[in-house]
Amino acid sequence: MIETAFVGLSGADYLFDAIVLFADLPFERGYIESIIRVSLSVSLTAVVLSTLVGLPVALTVGFTEFPGKRLVVALINTGMGLPSVVVGLLVLFAVSNQGPLGSLNLVFTREAMVISQFVLATPVVTGVSLAAVTSVDDGLRDAAYAMGGTRLDVALATISEARAGIVTAVLAGLGRAISEVGSVLIVGGNIVRADGSSVTRTLTTAIQLEARQGRFEIALLLGGVLVALVLVINGLVLRLGGRRY
Amino acid sequence: MAQRPAFRSSQQSQSTTISLSNVSHGFEERTVLENVSLTVERGETLAIIGPSGTGKTTLLRLLALFEPPRSGRITFDSTDLWSVSADDRLTERRQIGMVFQSPNLFSASVRQNVSYGLRLRQGWRTRLRQWAARLVRQPPMPAVEAALGTVGLADAANRPAGSLSGGEAQRVAFARALAPGPEFLLLDEPTSDLDPRNTAVIEEAIETSRADGLGVVIATHDMQQAERIADRVAVLLDGRLIEVGATEAIFTDPDDRRTQRFINGELIY
Repeated sequence: MIETAFVGLSGADYLFDAIVLFADLPFERGYIESIIRVSLSVSLTAVVLSTLVGLPVALTVGFTEFPGKRLVVALINTGMGLPSVVVGLLVLFAVSNQGPLGSLNLVFTREAMVISQFVLATPVVTGVSLAAVTSVDDGLRDAAYAMGGTRLDVALATISEARAGIVTAVLAGLGRAISEVGSVLIVGGNIVRADGSSVTRTLTTAIQLEARQGRFEIALLLGGVLVALVLVINGLVLRLGGRRY
Repeated sequence: MAQRPAFRSSQQSQSTTISLSNVSHGFEERTVLENVSLTVERGETLAIIGPSGTGKTTLLRLLALFEPPRSGRITFDSTDLWSVSADDRLTERRQIGMVFQSPNLFSASVRQNVSYGLRLRQGWRTRLRQWAARLVRQPPMPAVEAALGTVGLADAANRPAGSLSGGEAQRVAFARALAPGPEFLLLDEPTSDLDPRNTAVIEEAIETSRADGLGVVIATHDMQQAERIADRVAVLLDGRLIEVGATEAIFTDPDDRRTQRFINGELIY
C-alpha cells in the first residue's frame, strides 16, 4: 500500500483526500480535533510556564552581576540544544514510581508532557529573551531611572523596549514545544481513548504514527494543521507587535 | 520669577539647594572624582566645564543618585540622600530631571516619551487605568503639551520617536525631563551633537527653566555655550574642582592658571 501510495499519488491528491476526509468522516474529524486540542493545551501551558520562569531569569541574569554568571549563561545556551528524547527519558524517570514525582502518578499524562515541554522550551525562552533584553541600550535604562523609575519601572521599560525580541523568544519556545516528538512520545505514550479521541496524542506523535501506518492523508492533514497553527501564531505576532516606532 | 507654567507641580517639596560635600568617587582602582564640593541653588544655571574624561558625567550621575559616592555626602538642603530610606530617596530623586548626551528615547510616540515621568509618579491602579484608556484614545495631558511647547514641538506629540531628527529627539528628551516638574535639571552635554538651530532651542529652554526657578547643572566642553547661559562656572580637571565662580569672572579673570589655559583652548593634560 505504501509503495502504491508513493508511486501512484501526488501530494495534491493526498491533500484533496485529506480535506474530503475531514469534511465527510465525523469519526476522523473528532479524532483530529481532539489531537489539536491536546497539542495546543499542552504546548501553550508549557510555554506560559516557561515564559513566567524564563523572562524573570533573563532579566536577572542580564542586569545583575554575580559570581558564576558566565556559567549560568553557558547552561542556558546548552539547554537550548537539549535532545528531546533525553529530556523525555529524564522526565519519565522523574515521574515514574521510583522517581521524585512518583507519588503524583503522572506517567502517560498530559501533565508529564507539559513538564517535558517546559524543560525543553524554558532554555529557549530564557536564552532568546536574555539576548533581547541585553541588547537594549544602557542609555534607555539610565533614562528610565533618571526619570524617577524604580528597579521595577526600569525592568518594565526594558521589557517594553525588548518586546519584539521577547515575543520572538516566546514564539521560539512555542515552536520548540509544539513541533517536538521524542519526549512527548516517551512521557505521554501517544494514547487515544476507545472512541478515538486523544488522551496524550499530539499532532507530531499522531503524524509519526499515521505515516508509519500508511494513512498519509491523515498525516498530511495533521501536518497542514501544524503548519497553519504556526502561521496563525506568526500572524498574531505581526498584528500585535507590528506597530513600529 | 516667570509665571509658573502648567507643567510645574505645586505638590512637590521645595528643596532649594543640591550639594556635593567632599565627594570622591571612582571605578575599581581608578579615582574619577576627588574631594569635590559644590552647591547648586534653584534659579541658577551652573556650567561644569573641563576636558573630556575629567569626571563631568560621573559628577552628574552622582547628583542624579545613580549610585552612592565612595566617600562624602550628597544633600538636598541639609538632608543626606544616601542616609535616608530608599522610599525617601526616590521622592527626592523625582525632584531631578536629567538629559543625556544621547536622547535615549523609548520606542514609542513622542507623547508617551514625554509623559513617562508623569506616569511613573502615579499609583499602579491609575497607571493601569490610563494604559487601558490609551488603547481607546489619548487623553489630554496639559503638562506634556506645555513641556513640548517649551522646546517648540507642540505639534509633534503623536509622531513616533523613531521618525524624529537628532535635534528634535534631543528636544523631546529635554521636554521629557521637564514634564514632571523637577526642581533641578542635570544636562550632560545636551547639545554636543546638535546643529546651531536646535542648540539655540535647547539653550532657550534652559533659560526658561532657570527663569521658572529650576536649578540647572550643565556639563559642557563648549566654552561659548557656558559663557552664554551660565550664571556660574565650575572648572573640573582630572577629577578635581579647581575653580568655581561667576561666569564673567571665570572667563575674564580666572584665579587658576590652568583655567585660563583651558579657556584659551590649550591642552592641559
